[in-house]
Amino acid sequence: MKFRQEKIQIGAEAEHTLESEVRSLAGSGDTDPKVPDTYWMNLPIRINSRIDEATSGKAMSISWALRVALPGAVAIVSFLIGLHYYVPEVPQKGDSISEIVLSLPPASLDSILNDPSRLDPPILVEELGPDVFDVSRTQIAEYLVFSGNLPAALDGLTNQETNELLAVLSSDGR
Amino acid sequence: MDPRTDLELVQEVRNGRRQAFTELMRRYQQRVYWVTRRIVGNHADADDVAQETFVKAYLALGDFRGDSGFFTWLYRIAVNLSLNALRKRQVVNYLQESALLSKFLPADSDPSRDVEEQQLDSILQKAIATLPEKQRAVFVLRYYEELSYEEIGRILKTSIGGLKANYFHALKKVQEYLRNEIQTGEDPDRG
Repeated sequence: MKFRQEKIQIGAEAEHTLESEVRSLAGSGDTDPKVPDTYWMNLPIRINSRIDEATSGKAMSISWALRVALPGAVAIVSFLIGLHYYVPEVPQKGDSISEIVLSLPPASLDSILNDPSRLDPPILVEELGPDVFDVSRTQIAEYLVFSGNLPAALDGLTNQETNELLAVLSSDGR
Repeated sequence: MDPRTDLELVQEVRNGRRQAFTELMRRYQQRVYWVTRRIVGNHADADDVAQETFVKAYLALGDFRGDSGFFTWLYRIAVNLSLNALRKRQVVNYLQESALLSKFLPADSDPSRDVEEQQLDSILQKAIATLPEKQRAVFVLRYYEELSYEEIGRILKTSIGGLKANYFHALKKVQEYLRNEIQTGEDPDRG
């Protein structure tokens, strides 16, 4: 690595000395080229004409397109794309009927199930298991026998289920 | 002379009085022209850049907040456009040197360089033309326009330390160039 042997001092004095030397060396050769007065008289006219050109209808319409129309179009397209891909949040599925029923306090459930006109004594929740709506085919058949529809009660029962049903009916003394 | 200040004129332009901008042009056209001329080194480019400076200033007048003086703001536009013009010319020169453009131009056509050579009628201008673009801008603003480093810093958005270093190096290069030219007497334009 090559180090600079001479450290350049950038002080105001050093700068002034150097600048004076440059001015002296440039001397009379440092003269601006002549620009005719007519140039200065015409320059504002030419600039005004360029300003007119830049602010004319065509230029303004391009400017309007760049400033307003283009960003507007981009915003609308973005909105439509967003709308296309938007998936609304699906509301959470509610609890099942059995879950709601089982969550009720015993007294409330009793009031729903208690129908003295049909059952005596009334069914209590404590007597029902958690599978309150899970009824076996034997129970369905038992219900059908009670309601006098014997052919329907026996229809579809296996031999074992028929025997179970008969056992239940005999034990009840019916 | 119009007694209105720059800011008053700017406000009038904003209110739709275009004539006020013509007054601003008359006030500053020569200074803008010479700054650009000294940076780009020829009349044709300087003329174009000076015009473009005022057009841009007019169109961007709504963005002028008055934090700096109007002329400082105008200088900034002029210097930036001048440096852009220099870069464009460097690209053209490069293409000409690499013979890519010669396929599309007549054999005797070398517009940018011809103009530059013709217009560099001062030995100092030739020395300035050897400087890198940033040093060139700092040199012109300090040496010719005699602006303070604070003002140049606002125009070029550069630290004062950096500007001082740039100016000092520019002075050294110009000094060496002038010494060589004077000693060897190789400058054909000097009488």
